[in-house]
Amino acid sequence: MDHRKSTRFMLLVLSGVFAFLYIPISVLLALSFNEGGLPTAWTGFSVKWYGALFSNQDILGAALNTLIVAVVSTLMATALGTLLAIGVEIRRRKGRFLETIIFAPMIIPDIVLAIALLSFFSMLNVTMGLHTIIFSHVVFNLAFVCAVVRARLKNFDWSIVEASTDLGASILTTLRRIVLPVLMPAIVAGALLAFTLSVDEFIIAFFTAGAGRDSITLPMQIFAMIRFGVTPEINALSTIVMSVSLVALALSQRLNRGGLPGQ
Amino acid sequence: MSKPLLSLQNVEKQFGTFKAVDQVSIDINENEFFALLGASGSGKTTLLRMIAGFEDLTSGALLLDGDDISAVPAHRRPVNLMFQSYALFPHLTVARNIAYGLEMERLPRKEITARVDEILETIQLSHVAARKPDQLSGGQRQRVALARALVKRPRILLLDEPLGALDKKLRGEMQLELKRIQDEFKITFIVVTHDQEEALVMADRIAILKDGKLLQIGSPSEVYEHPNSRFSAEFIGVMNFLPVVRSGDGYQDRNGAAITATDRGVLGHGATLVAAVRPERMLLNPEPHLNQLTGRISALAYHGLDLQVHLETPSSPQPVMVRLTADAAEGLNLSIGDTLAVGWSAKDTRIFDA
Repeated sequence: MDHRKSTRFMLLVLSGVFAFLYIPISVLLALSFNEGGLPTAWTGFSVKWYGALFSNQDILGAALNTLIVAVVSTLMATALGTLLAIGVEIRRRKGRFLETIIFAPMIIPDIVLAIALLSFFSMLNVTMGLHTIIFSHVVFNLAFVCAVVRARLKNFDWSIVEASTDLGASILTTLRRIVLPVLMPAIVAGALLAFTLSVDEFIIAFFTAGAGRDSITLPMQIFAMIRFGVTPEINALSTIVMSVSLVALALSQRLNRGGLPGQ
Repeated sequence: MSKPLLSLQNVEKQFGTFKAVDQVSIDINENEFFALLGASGSGKTTLLRMIAGFEDLTSGALLLDGDDISAVPAHRRPVNLMFQSYALFPHLTVARNIAYGLEMERLPRKEITARVDEILETIQLSHVAARKPDQLSGGQRQRVALARALVKRPRILLLDEPLGALDKKLRGEMQLELKRIQDEFKITFIVVTHDQEEALVMADRIAILKDGKLLQIGSPSEVYEHPNSRFSAEFIGVMNFLPVVRSGDGYQDRNGAAITATDRGVLGHGATLVAAVRPERMLLNPEPHLNQLTGRISALAYHGLDLQVHLETPSSPQPVMVRLTADAAEGLNLSIGDTLAVGWSAKDTRIFDA
């Protein structure tokens, strides 16, 4: 009896948590298809706000910027983060210090990192723009890619590296033909995670974008628009951004699970 | 005597203050099946890894066909290693695993395919050529690892505990299979093992290592019949040790019985000595000129072909093991508690430092 009661209670709590998490998102999703555009009344299904979105030059420009930042910073962070993960794993015996400082950008609050990067760029007299956003995103994405790849490396059988050498492969050939392919699911998972993080990152982009409209990203555009109230276009835009993020995240988790033994 | 294929000369390996391999010199011949036998920590695996090129020599030389190869990097040595964990590439199929080493030699695609097919045939795994390693059984994985190293036709194939991960029955089959393959490919095999039975069955010669030092080297029958130290005697097969003291020209056990050994059998000259004798050299109804002892049967173990008798005797602190053939034991009706007298000849007696 008691057991059943407590199970029912736990189910109730669980539903509460899920409701709290997902009802606002569902409302947003629903309102993006609301013809009238007002949050107070449902007047019928329509995709006209999506149409409005795609004729708004400001939004399209920001979306393009976001895509550039996300793609370029993801590629750079993935290449560097993977090599970093392999290097740290090889040097692991020389102490844990390296491990700790690598993950610092993950743990430091975004606002602190944003101010630090802004000061850094000002100090060097760098003209800010998309390139500084890209550089800043590489900084924190590097840590995330590294973390994902390192998790995979924990189960990595290093004897296959020796086997490859023994069979006549140089270090570079071994890296290309053995190490990278075996790590590939984790590398792709890390890249997708980095892409997702970059797409909806606001604070750091906001601080390192510099002046002018040329380097406005999508989250910054939304922030600018929202000051005049939540418009139905923003609902539509948010729905698209959310969908892209969700797909990338789901893909990333799926890939990383598939490769790990015993899972 | 022809020139050795591989010559280890005063090879040493030092890890910090620990000497893993200590002044080891071994000559290994063409087409030989050679076993490095020792317990864990004996330095046998380090020695194998030095030959493969994964460990530097602290000092000494490593000659292949008379050329020093100790500075040649692992991927350029005409030597291949079959790893204890097999180390198969998880993302490649069986056929691609085996082809990998040939691709590194930049051989024509046609030749690679032909050689991979041929060796898959030899190890009878053609039907799993398209599978990934995690879809294979342990025995199949072991054979793929062997094929991957063999297909390169190395001068020397190194095998690190090749049968360690297999179950007992499969291990027995693979011991003979390895010998057959070695014979067929005419390649020198150096196998590292801690299993003395494996070494005795497979190897042409065995090197016994202890604490990084080479204790003895010889054919299986030499190391079995003529161990040169108490450790070798203990490590290979079963051996009885009776504490003895010197007495005139001969020796005397704890019970005061005289023990004699031939000159060749005397290998210890220190203050505390033991007389060693194999259980199967013990005879029933001993004639008076033999070394002998009497004891009470404390345990009997029937093994099909033979009967193992444990004797408690004042001559030895541990029970003495006697191995009787089933024929000899038949009709005796031995049972626990019976008294039994056994004897053995002087030529089967070894005297070691305790």
